[in-house]
Amino acid sequence: MVGLDRGSRRAFRRALFLLGGGALVVALLLALPEPRPVAAQSSDVARQAQAQAWDEDAPGPKQPIPFSHALHAGTYQIECLYCHTGTDRSPMAGVPSVESCMGCHSQFGADLEGVQILQQYWQEKKPIPWLQIHRLPEHVQFPHHRHVNAGLECQTCHGPVQEMHKLYLTPDTKWWPWLTPARKLEMGWCISCHRENEVTQDCFACHY
Amino acid sequence: MTPPPATSVAAMMRPLPAAEDSRSNRDILAVMGRPTLGYVALLLLVVSAVAWALGTFVYQTYVGLGVAGYSHPIFWGVYIVTFVFWVGIAHAGTLISAILYLFRAKWRNAINRSAEAMTVFAVATAGLFPLIHLGRVFKFYWLLPYPNQRALWVNFKSPLLWDVFAVSTYATISTVFLYVGLIPDIAIARDRSTGWRKALYSVLALGWQGTSPQWKAHNRTVLHLSGLATPLVLSVHSVVSWDFAASIVPGWHATIFAPYFVAGAIFSGFAMVLTVMIPVRRIYGLERYITDYHFENMTRFILLTSLIVGYAYGVEYFIAWYSGVEAERTSFWLRAFGPYWLSAWIMITCNAFVPQVFWFKRLRTHIPTIFVVSVLINVGMWFERYVIIVTSLSREYNPAVWGQYTPSWVELSILAGSFAWFSMFFLIFLKIFPVIAINEVKELEIHEKEHPGGEYWEHGHTYEEVH
Amino acid sequence: MAEIDRREFLKLVGASAGAAAAAGCSEPVEKLIPYVVQPEEITPGLPVYYASTCRECPAGCGLLVKTREGRPIKLEGNPEHPVNRGALCARGQAAIGRTYHPDRHPGPLRRTGEGSFEAIGWDEAIALLAEQVKQAGSGTWFLSGDPGPTASRWIDRWLAAVGAGGRVVHEPFAPEALRQAASEVFGAAGEPRFDLTDADLVIDFGSDFLETGPSPVAHARQFAASRDVAEGEGRKARFVYVGPRLSMTASNADEWVAGKPGAAGALALAVARAAVDAGAGSAAVREALAGLLGNFAPERVAAQTGVEAETIQRLGRAVARARHAVALPPGPALTGRRARATAAAVLLLNAVSGSVGRGVRVSPAGAGRRASYRETLALIDAMKSGRVKLLLIGDGNPVYSLPTATGFAGALEKVPFVVSFASLADETSARADLILPDHTPLESWGDVVSAPGARSMVQPTLRPLHDTRALVDTLLDTGRALGPAVAARLPSGSFRTLLEQAWSDADWREAVARGGRFEPAPATETVSLAPGAGRIEVAEPLLEGEGDWTLLAVPSPWLYDGRGANLPWLQETPDPVTKIAWQSWAEVSHATAERLGLELGDVVAVETPTGTLEVSVYPRGGIRDDVVAIPIGQGHTVGYWASAAESGRPGEPRGANVLDVLPAATDESGGRAWLAARATLRKTGAHRRLALVQTSQNQRGRLLGEAVPLAALAAGDGHAAEHGGEHDESHGNGHGDAHHELLKPFDASKDADPDSSYRWGMAIDLDRCTGCSACVVACHVENNIPLVGERRSLEGRQMSWLRIERWIGEGSLKGGRTLPVAADPDEAPGVVDVRHAPQLCQHCGAAPCESVCPVLATYHNPEGMNAMIYNRCVGTRYCSNNCPYKVRRFNYYDYSRENWPGLLGLMLNPDVTVRVQGVMEKCTFCTQRVSAARHAATLEGRTIRDGEVTTACAQACPTQAIAFGNLRDEKSRVVEKSHAPARSYHALHELNTRPAITYLAQVKRGRVGEEG
Repeated sequence: MVGLDRGSRRAFRRALFLLGGGALVVALLLALPEPRPVAAQSSDVARQAQAQAWDEDAPGPKQPIPFSHALHAGTYQIECLYCHTGTDRSPMAGVPSVESCMGCHSQFGADLEGVQILQQYWQEKKPIPWLQIHRLPEHVQFPHHRHVNAGLECQTCHGPVQEMHKLYLTPDTKWWPWLTPARKLEMGWCISCHRENEVTQDCFACHY
Repeated sequence: MTPPPATSVAAMMRPLPAAEDSRSNRDILAVMGRPTLGYVALLLLVVSAVAWALGTFVYQTYVGLGVAGYSHPIFWGVYIVTFVFWVGIAHAGTLISAILYLFRAKWRNAINRSAEAMTVFAVATAGLFPLIHLGRVFKFYWLLPYPNQRALWVNFKSPLLWDVFAVSTYATISTVFLYVGLIPDIAIARDRSTGWRKALYSVLALGWQGTSPQWKAHNRTVLHLSGLATPLVLSVHSVVSWDFAASIVPGWHATIFAPYFVAGAIFSGFAMVLTVMIPVRRIYGLERYITDYHFENMTRFILLTSLIVGYAYGVEYFIAWYSGVEAERTSFWLRAFGPYWLSAWIMITCNAFVPQVFWFKRLRTHIPTIFVVSVLINVGMWFERYVIIVTSLSREYNPAVWGQYTPSWVELSILAGSFAWFSMFFLIFLKIFPVIAINEVKELEIHEKEHPGGEYWEHGHTYEEVH
Repeated sequence: MAEIDRREFLKLVGASAGAAAAAGCSEPVEKLIPYVVQPEEITPGLPVYYASTCRECPAGCGLLVKTREGRPIKLEGNPEHPVNRGALCARGQAAIGRTYHPDRHPGPLRRTGEGSFEAIGWDEAIALLAEQVKQAGSGTWFLSGDPGPTASRWIDRWLAAVGAGGRVVHEPFAPEALRQAASEVFGAAGEPRFDLTDADLVIDFGSDFLETGPSPVAHARQFAASRDVAEGEGRKARFVYVGPRLSMTASNADEWVAGKPGAAGALALAVARAAVDAGAGSAAVREALAGLLGNFAPERVAAQTGVEAETIQRLGRAVARARHAVALPPGPALTGRRARATAAAVLLLNAVSGSVGRGVRVSPAGAGRRASYRETLALIDAMKSGRVKLLLIGDGNPVYSLPTATGFAGALEKVPFVVSFASLADETSARADLILPDHTPLESWGDVVSAPGARSMVQPTLRPLHDTRALVDTLLDTGRALGPAVAARLPSGSFRTLLEQAWSDADWREAVARGGRFEPAPATETVSLAPGAGRIEVAEPLLEGEGDWTLLAVPSPWLYDGRGANLPWLQETPDPVTKIAWQSWAEVSHATAERLGLELGDVVAVETPTGTLEVSVYPRGGIRDDVVAIPIGQGHTVGYWASAAESGRPGEPRGANVLDVLPAATDESGGRAWLAARATLRKTGAHRRLALVQTSQNQRGRLLGEAVPLAALAAGDGHAAEHGGEHDESHGNGHGDAHHELLKPFDASKDADPDSSYRWGMAIDLDRCTGCSACVVACHVENNIPLVGERRSLEGRQMSWLRIERWIGEGSLKGGRTLPVAADPDEAPGVVDVRHAPQLCQHCGAAPCESVCPVLATYHNPEGMNAMIYNRCVGTRYCSNNCPYKVRRFNYYDYSRENWPGLLGLMLNPDVTVRVQGVMEKCTFCTQRVSAARHAATLEGRTIRDGEVTTACAQACPTQAIAFGNLRDEKSRVVEKSHAPARSYHALHELNTRPAITYLAQVKRGRVGEEG
């Protein structure tokens, strides 16, 4: 501590103390057990989830069924590809068929309103008219399988769905390297990512 | 030179009191007086023509360019023809104002105002056509290099893009030029008008008092603007000509195009000035200011440029033959003797042969002749562009898809509309701004007072006649 | 465009297609409609292929139906199928349109009045039919084309069960005369089949085997194989066409012998005679035919056939010298009153040349029930006399395709109750009292015998779009409705189960998967001349009428017997010879035109004893002076595209129907005779412009469609093609040394990003291109190309990305002042010099179009493609002005709105954007296919292999004239193909656009029998 005036020394000590304290807190946090997936019977969680999925005040359109991604992808930790099959094999993202929903929900959840609506569709053999949230502009070909296999998280484009009860397009804007902003799923937004990852920027890759 | 006597200096420096208003002021400002019935009728006519053209344009935009006469492989037609035509017209103004100014050709003073005005209106007309001919006109702004979220840029290699810059630059400069020249006259008008005109002129005159520093600044500005504008006269139509010269279309792909087009532009520009000014002079009795002498000088110019244009026609054919390229030869052979022979011969007759009458002093100074010839030249120059664009495209490299093109009523309506549009602007201009540069005319008069036997003698006027 | 496609899909599943405005979201939200139950074979976004069989003509080519999300979007040939080996003709490519066609019957319809119908339920309909059958009893007759073996069997069983009169098969172009001739000459019941693969001399007496012959795709493949110059000297078969008109097939011949119409028989025998004189034929054959051939000395025949004796002698010598000469009998156009004798004569020529049993296979055993014109006429008589109480009409459109003179339409009025099973509205169904629509082939089960040993399977590839039923099922249900007695005599179950039973001898699953059961054709036991062979009576055809011109009713390559007229892709594709689209015309010689003072497009009245027809003329060199030729197929009055309805004149015919002026003539054995009338031509003074899509067939010696003489090829003269074949200075277009200087050689494979592993390119072999235009239609369907119709074709606003340009020789500097111009007089009998040059975007390395686009909507992409980005285009159209090949197309209107009426939008390719109004479009080298292949390859961490991706045009080509691939892959087929120094050239090379497409010049083989 030679050559340091008192003020500086005090500041230094305070800094050390804060650092130490911070480290301790982090260690404690790490030591805590991570939350275990909540079992299916805890249907009050589910009930809350579906209530929030139809929450009028939450952003995003009201879907025909109060389906909560937060519950399925978040709480229950179900893989995206488990329901959205084929997304890793096909340019199109698979929207799960009513049958595949029933695969689980014929087993349980019958007490939930959402599941009841689902079963109604199933009995009437009608498809569920989901409202599209993530909509590319016209005249774009987007091969999902290429991006999934390139190791991109679905969240990169679709946002943290595992935290959303009611699905909506999470705002995201890229500025660099242009002066004008590109909103999510707009062309500039795609390009910036393609530039960062040094992949094709050929117009023909998406427009034909 | 001997310093001018105090009186004249004074005359130059402060506005004359209304009581002893000079004749030039009265005459020239009289033009801006109450519109006659004929004027109103004419204005209504052109306005309705413009409205009709606008309607057809909306119709075309909605239904699609199919309503125009285009057919594979002729993808450019009347619209581009008319674009080039009006850009050509736009040349006289700047030439007269800038180049002749630099050459101190005093006779220009009487006509430069109207020429400049025409320039601005012609560009305003021409500028519309590249948009009218677009397949998706609502996307026209994609032609401008502006930062956008798509991170897309324009193609600086494309002659069409050069056009965008060339024409917009030219529009800007010529507008500024016109305005700067107007300032002193607006001031004069301001001092003699009341009501809304007074208010308008007061704003536009930028507080002009005709003080010596203001005159200094004014003259310097005009001089510098002339310097700026001069290269534009040459550049604009050169760039427009590259739309064609830079392609590989037989009949377009020629190095002579730039000078050829510039000469043609000046040619048609002067013709248009004559076509417009002869009636104006007649109607508003401005013979005192716009004299036959001015017209004669312009006919000389027309004669010169006509020779250049005629020469260019010759060279085109010679090169086509000399190149030995069958496609070129065929293209030009069919240009003269193919389906479009009529347009071709109209063009050659009106542009190369008819103007030769100006070799004779009698005809050079015979106003009706000048008028007829100038009108014919306008027709001829429109057909020149029609021939270049349509005939070349109709007979290209692949005979399997040679085609024929006939303008549709939509295109013709919009063509007519363009003339109406141009006239509309000019008619309005007549009533709002002095059609002759008062200050420059006065400059002349004073000049005359000081140096009897100057240019004004050349065609027999005596100073007494003038006053 | 995925967009439109999804909307239509919604329409399909019956859900609302409307876009609902959703809370918290300003712009309307699209709906995502998932499957209720997703079929495990379907992954949305990936195509699924089903093997089936084409039912457009009797050839029965194998299909691979490309489906997306359960909807067929493209038909391709089944590579495993022995008949077409993966290729498909233009008609096959267009066939997909039938399923989504606006003319389709929505369900059972009952006639309520003149041309008005009411929809009824199936139960009601079947009850109605049952009632009628009960009443009619033996007065019940069934008329249709060949519905396939299994269906035929059960229809016959049903007819027997209900005690009906019987069944008549009517197939307008059925080679009845040939069958009769075969039994006459060889005593064989089977239909002779011709194989050109090993032929070294082909003499076609007018079968037009490349257009409407028995099996165009197979014959095209064999023809190309027999002439493949790449395989050395041995494979350069000569081809002589004998006939009055230079058809598309004839355009591919080395020599055209313009014999009089109906002279084929005499000529065949004369050639045979000359051949025998030159030492051809086995002793047995010579001995058997000595008497007959005695009467056909070339000198004698020359006069009556209009062919010089010298030519006949020369052909005879050629036949004698040939290892394997095949002669083909006349097709419908030249089938006259003496058709059997004519066909017999041609078969005898084959016997003389010794190709019977090799190139010409005659199976002694006949196969099932066959079309009979005689029976059809008998049925018509029965109808007229009121003996037919109930007429069931299956597929086919007899009201149109039978000669008007037979009075079929009138006879139909006399039948108390007429039932049509047509799935698309046509002239016949319009006259029916009850319409019980069948599925379209893409929706139905069935089977076809395509060729000996080739049993093909027809399987449904989508759920029926409308309330339709399989014909056999309808009949069975009707039978059951007739009460237990009848029901007992009918099988239980549906047609599907019956079909499975019929295929019980084969592995059903495999048959369905592969599209049938394909075994090598059974070895045909050698047939020998029947005793009567030497006694055939060949003579001049008997022609009705006194006119100076023989009327030739030519089967249209696209419209066939008229069944193609309601497929817009076929209407839009210009005729391979005249390049006219959407219209009818009459071909006359220049001499005739001069004689009558007719210009191109002038309307002429064609008068025969049967009637008069007014149609525009197309004067050309490729037709005899004593002949007027009118294509069959137009003149329909029913149908959105078939009639003039598309042009806004419903009920009016499109073009003229030549069958109106044909007499109802038959040949010796009752087969249908088409060549039966003389006509007088009268100038009407009217003028109707013809929609010539190619405005001039004179290439003015420009480097577009080139040819090299065989000699130069043998000499390996590398410059032959670069000079533009046998250019001389005659057409004074600066060919020769100076010209050659301009042709700077270049390496197209360099014109792409240095790091890219691909430079896509193409090689097109003009020596293989027959002009069949299968590629053109394939391109239309694959790339959602708009169909502009007659009016806009006349305006020169066709949208096709790929066109076949027909060039007559090197051309001359004549003409060009007026357009369009008819084919040059250079078309003349003797050596044929017609070149078919497919013209599409050349994907130039130095593309003139790219530099001039102000917004970079078109540019050179890293893989060397000339990319066109529709949604960036503002429509300055400069690119097209600057394209020397003129292959860019402009959307003058919003075709996306008006071009796919009804459910037709369902067949749009979801991988290709539907272009909007005001943008340019052009060939993209099927970049959507390349992308798909790239995705697949990249996911496997490799590059695209050669052959893994090909364009729609290359895939469709029956002769494999087009090769597509990666120019940077040394071993790729395209590189190998384009490396032909003596023949390779680039279109308009001197402009130095560095095209990615290498053309291989056509080979000129010269006059037959004169080669060393």
